[in-house]
Amino acid sequence: MQSCRRKSLWLALLASWLLGLLGILPLLRLAVPTGPRAGAPQGWPRWLDAELLQSFLQPGELPEDAPQLRRAPRGGSCDWGACFDTSKCRSGGFKVFVYPAAEPTSEMQHKILASIEGSRYHTVSPTEACLHLLTLDAPAGACSLVPPKWNGGKNHLVLRLHPASCSGTFQLGWAMVAEASPTVDTFRPGFDVALPLLPEAHPVRGGAPGQLRQHSPHPGAALLALAEERGGWRVAATDSSACPWDGHCEQDHGPEQTHPGAALPNATFCLIPGRRADALRFLQALQAGCIPVLLSPRWELPFSEVIDWTKAAIVADKRLPLQVLAALQEMPPTRVLALRQQTQFLWDTYFSSVEKVIRTALEIIQDRILGASAHPSLLWNSPPGALLALPTFSTSPLDFPFYYLQQGSRPAGRFSALIWVGATGQPPLKLIQAVAGSQHCAQILVLWSNDKPPPPSWPETAVPLLVIEGHRKVSARFFPHSAISTDAILSLDAHSSLSTSEVDFAFVVWQSFPERMVGFLTWSHFWDEAQGRWGYTAERVNEFSMVLTSAAFYHRYYHTLFTHSLPKALRRLAEAAPHCVDVLMNFLVAAATKLPPIKVPSGRRHEDASPPRVPGDLGPAARDCIDRVAAGFGHMPLVSSRLRLDPVLFKDPVSVLRKKYRGLEKP
Amino acid sequence: MCASVKYNIRGPALIPRMKIKHRIYYITLFSVVLLGLIATGVFQFWPHSIESSNDWSVEKRSVRDVPVVRLPADSPIPERGDLSCRMHTCFDVYRCGFNPKNKIKVFIYSLKKYVDDSGVPVSNTISREYNELLTAISDSDYYTDDITRACLFVPSIDVLNQNTLRIKETAQALAQLSRWDRGTNHLLFNMLPGGPPDYNTALDVPRDSPRRYFLLSSQMALHPEYREELGALQAKHGESVLVLDKCTNLSEDVLSVRKRCHEHQVFDYPQVLQEATFCVVLRGARLGQAVLSDVLRAGCVPVVIADSYILPFSEVLDWKRASVVVPEEKMADVYSILQSIPQRQIEEMQRQARWFWEAYFQSIKAIALATLQIINDRIYPYAAISYEEWNDPPTVKWGSVSNPLFLPLIPPQSQGFTAIVLTYDRVESLFRVITEVSKVPSLSKLLVVWNNQNKSPPEESLWPKIRVPLKVVRTAENKLSNRFFPYDEIETEAVLAIDDDIIMLTSDELQFGYEVWREFPDRLVGYPGRLHLWDHEMSKWKYESEWTNEVSMVLTGAAFYHKYFNYLYTYKMPGDIKNWVDAHMNCEDIAMNFLVANVTGKAVIKVTPRKKFKCPECTAIDGLSLDQTHMVERSECINKFASVFGTMPLKVVEHRADPVLYKDDFPEKLKSFPNIGSL
Repeated sequence: MQSCRRKSLWLALLASWLLGLLGILPLLRLAVPTGPRAGAPQGWPRWLDAELLQSFLQPGELPEDAPQLRRAPRGGSCDWGACFDTSKCRSGGFKVFVYPAAEPTSEMQHKILASIEGSRYHTVSPTEACLHLLTLDAPAGACSLVPPKWNGGKNHLVLRLHPASCSGTFQLGWAMVAEASPTVDTFRPGFDVALPLLPEAHPVRGGAPGQLRQHSPHPGAALLALAEERGGWRVAATDSSACPWDGHCEQDHGPEQTHPGAALPNATFCLIPGRRADALRFLQALQAGCIPVLLSPRWELPFSEVIDWTKAAIVADKRLPLQVLAALQEMPPTRVLALRQQTQFLWDTYFSSVEKVIRTALEIIQDRILGASAHPSLLWNSPPGALLALPTFSTSPLDFPFYYLQQGSRPAGRFSALIWVGATGQPPLKLIQAVAGSQHCAQILVLWSNDKPPPPSWPETAVPLLVIEGHRKVSARFFPHSAISTDAILSLDAHSSLSTSEVDFAFVVWQSFPERMVGFLTWSHFWDEAQGRWGYTAERVNEFSMVLTSAAFYHRYYHTLFTHSLPKALRRLAEAAPHCVDVLMNFLVAAATKLPPIKVPSGRRHEDASPPRVPGDLGPAARDCIDRVAAGFGHMPLVSSRLRLDPVLFKDPVSVLRKKYRGLEKP
Repeated sequence: MCASVKYNIRGPALIPRMKIKHRIYYITLFSVVLLGLIATGVFQFWPHSIESSNDWSVEKRSVRDVPVVRLPADSPIPERGDLSCRMHTCFDVYRCGFNPKNKIKVFIYSLKKYVDDSGVPVSNTISREYNELLTAISDSDYYTDDITRACLFVPSIDVLNQNTLRIKETAQALAQLSRWDRGTNHLLFNMLPGGPPDYNTALDVPRDSPRRYFLLSSQMALHPEYREELGALQAKHGESVLVLDKCTNLSEDVLSVRKRCHEHQVFDYPQVLQEATFCVVLRGARLGQAVLSDVLRAGCVPVVIADSYILPFSEVLDWKRASVVVPEEKMADVYSILQSIPQRQIEEMQRQARWFWEAYFQSIKAIALATLQIINDRIYPYAAISYEEWNDPPTVKWGSVSNPLFLPLIPPQSQGFTAIVLTYDRVESLFRVITEVSKVPSLSKLLVVWNNQNKSPPEESLWPKIRVPLKVVRTAENKLSNRFFPYDEIETEAVLAIDDDIIMLTSDELQFGYEVWREFPDRLVGYPGRLHLWDHEMSKWKYESEWTNEVSMVLTGAAFYHKYFNYLYTYKMPGDIKNWVDAHMNCEDIAMNFLVANVTGKAVIKVTPRKKFKCPECTAIDGLSLDQTHMVERSECINKFASVFGTMPLKVVEHRADPVLYKDDFPEKLKSFPNIGSL
């Protein structure tokens, strides 16, 4: 009994000890750790009384700010709201007055003046102008004095294409400064405009296209090119040198200098030091489709107010070379592809000529005036760019033909037929019946521009028919009539002949290509070696680059573009040579899309193609039309195509009953 | 455990017979055991929130207990902020160093209570909001507790509200932080992010009813001059403009910040903001605009009339899409300016305003994370978040397609294309294909993918002699995906995938296919077209190879496409589609059609009248039963892929591409592509 009791006593003791230890250990764990345990981060403490903490605002305290009135701005602290008077721009639209060049003028100054005088903004009257433009680009020491209508610099834009020319000659007052690569220290965002640093030989108009010939980098292309101090580029391999832009390891890779002093780099990335003088290299890289990697630039990137440079360039910190290098090497192909394409888009749209640079600068100022109805960011940063997407048409990307996919949308399923009845035209009764028979037709508009009055009665149609009378120039057929209610327009001539099948199929094709023109009859352009100029022909050949607007589908936006964006010279041409409007329209669409139009099959034989509009029969004025239009555009935007889009079962040896567009099957 | 139980049972019987001394002894022992039991139980079965490793390290204390730091009156004051600071000059980026994840590391100083010489606290130790903010940072991926590894430092000194700050003493407190160094890499939060935080929840439901007022001003602290101008606007435009002010005749118990008045009419704030289309945000003395947050939340479009006011996060947020900025000088015209905005744009702005609030302003956490993300984007620009990611509301992001080949670029013809022939062991047929394809003028290279691991490809001397380089790639495994691998040997952008039995395509037909691809480099350009259809009876997709008027796919037995799609197929194919294809040895072409349509949002291009790839020799296996199982399998693929993609990306079109003069009444010898083939 005794021993049993003692035994159990010991057992109990042991057990209690064990339990005690088990129990105390966690307690010890609680008490002991004063320093952080390895692995687990010591976060911000969860305060026991977190719920009881006071708000940073006292209950009675107003969350509002104290009232304050605006202080009158001083010259240096000018901003858009304070220093620009928009009232002058409201009534007459955006008009620009340019001070005549004072002697002596530089080459560049001439180019700028010429390009503005040709633009649709230009005005000769300084009182009517909303913006006064002063170019300060004279050779050193020959700067003009304060111009006559200076007015303290209000509503003035001072253009300085070369850094530091004429700086400090007179007080800039309330004037905005458009400067080539301005330093970030003096640049006033939202007020000044950052321009690109252009080489002296930059073309006025047109300009060289981007160098990129393929979307993705060639597998053998070098990863990096470096801007050399002497000018030119040096191609570097990244694997062998850890510090390709650092002075001391330069001697290591002598043999890699495959393209020393090359004018344009041939690499995926272009490293550009941050010095202001290297801004020139930035443009070179852009043109070459070499993704610029800017190392801590001390200058503002051109047009940074509107251009999203993160899509086309990389601004890196020069203090982290290894990191930048690693990031470039590991950049996913998807990103490289996107960056490369964006460099080309930006170069071609805003930088390739002096005219584009100036227009972009003016467009930025116009956007500030427009405020809420300015270009949305998408219009600036995706093709075709803000110069070709007019905010006066709409600020919603959905209204334009270019952004359906980006917006996850598609064109609506209806079109408006626009029939032009010229001086010799007869009422196109048969055509109206054929077009009205299409299930996609929403309305028919007849533009009656004939000396004879229109017939009193028109055929009964299932869709509304509207006759718009008035004697007009041929260019008025592309006027954005407010009566047009659909995005798609079928442009027709009184003597066009189409079947319902043709109309239906062409419209369905247009829905797949809403930014292009879809037509039946085609022309193609060619370079006439013998005469050294452009020509075009309606002869049937294996390719084409234009479709006749006597029967073509296109987006109604092109009416706005045709009427409101053409430079003065081309507008005059359109009015003087009526047969040129077809060519002009095709140029305009090609310039916007950079793609050829689309041809669909037409049952009509080509001999029927309206004789008066085929250039062969025309006088010399019409024959050199294409040459003059090309000169006006500064380049040849037309692109040739070698294909025609047919219905899937077109002329296949299968039963006609299987086919949807039977009207097209007739020989 | 066992011991104590045993003892427990015997205990009551024993106790009465025991001596007093023993009894006390046993009772003590018993209670020790019991205590031990309880202690074990408590620590074994305590709720997990306490036991988790995280919380062993997190201090569990009161804010009242934080250490006190006395600031002598003559302790150093930091230099004034350098206004010309830029990321490249004042920010010490070396501290951020190399970082494989491209994420900055943020350190938070521990909380201290600062008192001046006489023991009076410099400020409220920490506010609820600042505590929330620091907690959010601490919980995020950016946080580090290692001061030596940190690249950004956040002081725990609360400077959210300038009104409660003693500026000089706070500055002294900041200056004595261990890594202050003139504030390099330090981040201070100073804001007034909105009114009292306990709103009526009714506001959380956006209302679609028409808004009664066109323009509303709800700010109480307005400069008389602005109020005068607003009054003039109201007088001119009547009912549609509402200018609210502080209420003067409210009873004591009503919270004045929740009410606004117009003359004697009382309105609930912020609910009244939902009644207006546009809400005015006027200039205040400091940076913050409390009303902005309220306005955004109500889905009212802010009209910012405050020159040189920098809108929050304007570095990344495109405020043009969610607000109207009017110069102060133009305040009188504000009504007509707003009237000129089309209704659709207004609706868009309302949605955008609400989305900005939800994404970046609705909580302290959202504000803190957006701030850190912006700094992160500056330090690691190559990993920065894009404009679209910051600004597009989720509905837009979901529906939109960003074509990876968006640049309208027609590649030069001279580049040519690389033909990739996938083969297993049909050497004779393979050699015929090679010979045929080599006749195509634009062919620049021929790549044979030898998919048979058991057999070596024929000797070099046996291969047909062709004018372009011919390379043979041997694969490690017999997989269908091998045909879509982005081989280094592919130097051209255009790829022609072709099976080793496709001998019926004419040279003109292939050359024309390449020309068509050049005009549509972002699409699949193929010969026989196929269609997907919705089977209403079975409620699922069906594969259709009948000769219909529509196409949505092309067979990749012979198809041109951009080599980038090889990269996408191999590395970015969603879900398990790639493995599924390899396991089933089928449908790799359907998978490619899905992939391309999904990233580009565009339809395929079918060229020429060709309807099938039937070789003369293989009629024997073209039995009906085989055909049917084939169709069932292909339909299964479409359904499987559609469910993986979460949508049906294929686009149906009614056109095909033919040469310009195809079937035209024109001399054949003058046509570029006279021999375009048959069905």
